[in-house]
Amino acid sequence: MTATTTTTTPGRPAPVSKSAESALPTHAKVPSRIAGPRPTTGVAFTRLVHVELRKMLDTRAGRWLLIGIAGIIAVALTIMFFDNGGEHSFAMYLQATTMPMALILPVVGILAVTSEWSQRTGLVTFGLEPRRIRVAWAKLVSALVVGLCAFALSLVLAGIAHQAAITFRGINGDWATDGLVLLGAGAYVLLGVAQGVGFGMLFKNTPAAIVVFFVLPTAWSILGSMVSWLGDAAVWLDMNQTMQPLFEGSLTGAQWAHLATSVATWVIAPLAVGIWRLTRAEVK
Amino acid sequence: MITVERLTKRYGPFTAVDDVSFEVKPGLVTGFLGPNGAGKTTAMRVMAGLTPATSGRATVLGRPYAALPNPGRHVGLLLDASAQHAGRTGREVLTLGAILMGVGKHRVDEMVELVGLTEKEANRRVRNYSLGMRQRLGIAHALLGDPEVLILDEPANGLDPAGIRWMRDLLRGYANEGGTVLLSSHLLNEIERVADEIIVIGHGKIVAQGTKDELLSGAGTFTRSTDDDALLAALAAASIVAQRTATGGLQVEAEPVAVGRVAVAHQIVLTELRGADSRGLEEMFLDLTADAAREEVAA
Repeated sequence: MTATTTTTTPGRPAPVSKSAESALPTHAKVPSRIAGPRPTTGVAFTRLVHVELRKMLDTRAGRWLLIGIAGIIAVALTIMFFDNGGEHSFAMYLQATTMPMALILPVVGILAVTSEWSQRTGLVTFGLEPRRIRVAWAKLVSALVVGLCAFALSLVLAGIAHQAAITFRGINGDWATDGLVLLGAGAYVLLGVAQGVGFGMLFKNTPAAIVVFFVLPTAWSILGSMVSWLGDAAVWLDMNQTMQPLFEGSLTGAQWAHLATSVATWVIAPLAVGIWRLTRAEVK
Repeated sequence: MITVERLTKRYGPFTAVDDVSFEVKPGLVTGFLGPNGAGKTTAMRVMAGLTPATSGRATVLGRPYAALPNPGRHVGLLLDASAQHAGRTGREVLTLGAILMGVGKHRVDEMVELVGLTEKEANRRVRNYSLGMRQRLGIAHALLGDPEVLILDEPANGLDPAGIRWMRDLLRGYANEGGTVLLSSHLLNEIERVADEIIVIGHGKIVAQGTKDELLSGAGTFTRSTDDDALLAALAAASIVAQRTATGGLQVEAEPVAVGRVAVAHQIVLTELRGADSRGLEEMFLDLTADAAREEVAA
């Protein structure tokens, strides 16, 4: 409260400076009642998802993150458009839009969870929905929805860029896309997002989750090339390796097993342990 | 209605809340008074299901908090006004709450107006809010779902005297309509001005609880007379402990009525007779605060 509010006149005094704040009303009013009985049913899951989605986009950090992704995709497509006369297949364009996005989107998933602790909004979030496991699922679902929308957008942008290259640069279009490639690109984005949410829940701390998330793949490739048994393990556990066949459009039984093992280790396990931690942690 | 039964919360060897039991009744404003670190916040977090209790339990409206359906519509929480995302606007914070609770957007406007934030202030990011504005936003959020119970941790912190009076009137009106209010403070005069019932907590234990009148009357009586020596003797004869105060007059450890009877019996003219100021409560509270301060120094 400030000294500017000592003389209160009916109506509201105009703020004097940017930091000045308005006076409290001279008379306290009791809030009106909301008509009807108080609810006896819990918060609908769709409302939880709605709120979590909104929370990802309503801060400057979240918005800039998405703007940044859009910017990177635009740059990537521009390079593709001019490189080699734009002579690339649609699949290549798709890769150019999906890869940078898949790299950054997991941060959206991480922040969706860690901001509850770093900004301490968990006091409100878990106060309004004490069944925390529902909040955890809502966060995962909303992060996946963002991932899906982003993937759909990258499909459209890649299509537009490819068509533009055909129309304006006169390349021979190549629209051939393997279903498995599409699935692979989509899975790449969504698994990354889910992994981000899982790491966020596991570490409850933004820098730790982000650092581990980004260092892990690099650590695999460096250590894997130096330590032979780690290299062997990487075949099963390095998601960059296990995902690769998806983009090539064919998987052997062994490759499916590799993929499943790595996903279980880096996506399912962090999510499971993370949710367990989230439901038990003390919210301060 | 909030019921806390034999609640204990330990952190390793440290006992933050130690076998605490009390009840917060509807229609009253109950003050939770204690120095910083006494266990108020921990107890409130346990009530809101945010901190698991080591033993004992807390129920709100007859059930554990986590079992309340859509709890925002039953219980209004303000546990820390600063615990808001710095990058959201005040209005957005309220809008998120309104969506989750399923109350209309017009309720957001109503609450913004209730706590006297201007349109411009509501659209400012919380990062640029003063503590007082965060408290007002927090109170608006707590009232958003039209709850039956309010649990407010240090809501008057950052409010000026006019703000504290505003909050007293607001909570009074809310309690008069049957609401249950529990608010904490580490300032005695804040609680004295707002609460009907007071629970005093220190070192995790309840050291006093009762209505404000009960606690304050326990402080004894202050009296002056035309002949304090005679009155002192008469009181001693009636085995009532009394002593002179530095500024004149007597501090008596008895109810005013007992002092009056003695004066009448000895035909001593009283010039002043009243319940002592909250000195008893104040001294107890100062002792607690001093203990806490000593521990901080020792640590």
